[in-house]
Amino acid sequence: MRNLLNFLAKYNNLIIFLILEGVALSLLFSGNSYHNTRLVKGVKGLTKGIEEKIYNIRTYLDLREINLSLASENTALRNQMGRLLKEGNVLFFSVTDSLFGQKYQFTPAEVIGNSVNRQKNYLTLSKGKKHGIEPDMAVTNSDGIIGVVVGSSRNFSIAMSLLNLDFRLSARIKSNGYFGSLTWEGRDYRHVILSEIPQHVVVNKGDTIETTGYSAVFPEGIMIGTVSDISRSGSDFYKITISLVADFKKLHFVNIVGNMKKTEQLELENLFQ
Amino acid sequence: MINSILRFGIIFILLIFLQVLLFNNIKFSGYINPYVYIMFILLLPHTTPSWLLLPVSFLTGLTIDFFSGSPGVHASATLLAGFTRPYVLRLIAPRDGYESGSDLSMLAYGFRWFLIYTVIIVLIHHILLFYLEVFRLADFFRTLIRVILSSIFTITFILLAEFYRKGR
Repeated sequence: MRNLLNFLAKYNNLIIFLILEGVALSLLFSGNSYHNTRLVKGVKGLTKGIEEKIYNIRTYLDLREINLSLASENTALRNQMGRLLKEGNVLFFSVTDSLFGQKYQFTPAEVIGNSVNRQKNYLTLSKGKKHGIEPDMAVTNSDGIIGVVVGSSRNFSIAMSLLNLDFRLSARIKSNGYFGSLTWEGRDYRHVILSEIPQHVVVNKGDTIETTGYSAVFPEGIMIGTVSDISRSGSDFYKITISLVADFKKLHFVNIVGNMKKTEQLELENLFQ
Repeated sequence: MINSILRFGIIFILLIFLQVLLFNNIKFSGYINPYVYIMFILLLPHTTPSWLLLPVSFLTGLTIDFFSGSPGVHASATLLAGFTRPYVLRLIAPRDGYESGSDLSMLAYGFRWFLIYTVIIVLIHHILLFYLEVFRLADFFRTLIRVILSSIFTITFILLAEFYRKGR
């Protein structure tokens, strides 16, 4: 007993150190991304006020660019609308059908918090449960995919950025339809990696990469980026580097996309898997 | 005693604010992320007993973790810095030892001593921090560059702040 006490007295430093280090590391490894964001959310409330002020000043300075991008998006939407009206040629539809076959609903939101320099980046968005934002909704902007919502409070929500090591996305090459898995390597905020494309497929630099509709989270056919580099990894697959269209360093406005038919799709999928 | 608790409390709050509001927002190509709050651990009096020093460093790291949403990373790095601090101090002790009343400052022990002290502690802290955050050996050298560049910025800031303190 006395030996034990002596031992403890002699190495009390080391013992406290090891215990606390154990606590820290268990925090680090047990914290899966969802709980992390809940933790962040709880405490972010403290800095939120100041962050919002800084953000307001920044947006004011960038107004010109924001206007330009909104104008160009408007034009694109107008073009699309024109085409759709002609194609559908719908003159009459039931007034009670509020959805009218609509599958995705878009909610505009502002980016309040954002980072690109960590390994696991998250965005803070200005819409929350009050506006119908729930986990697993997609986040896009006019340039492409931004991320996916992982948690929401009453007025705010947290989204996992595409620039996050935990982020996975099913993406395809627009020209031939082959799909693979899209991940970020944690290096450069302008590039992501598309893997699992077999080597017999013809891929060229500059090919467009877009989303597939397989996941029930992201709408189909949203632009992600263009192929900037192709290398062979291992025996069968390409490792394709994609340069993103969206500039993650200056995100202002995003759309949060809810899939209205998600539950139906998931229920059916669960039935057979 | 009360006086010094108050003083270090103010330094603590000031450094946390600086880190969270200013330095966490520096996004210079992903390579330079200075973590200046480690200066708090550097400045604590050398008479701080280790049973106090370790929890204090742990809590300092945890506070930064809360604000930057990275549970455990800063806590474990700062804890290691706090743990090694007594050994570093013993290693680079001036010839006639540390005076019991004085601060661990540039004014008391000179520029060269303070520089060595800062460089060692900041490097220990940053190396563990960045490698824990990345948690892969694949990008070993890239992470090393990030460690070195960020350390240079952190050390520069700490030296400037120390010069300012000395000047007053």
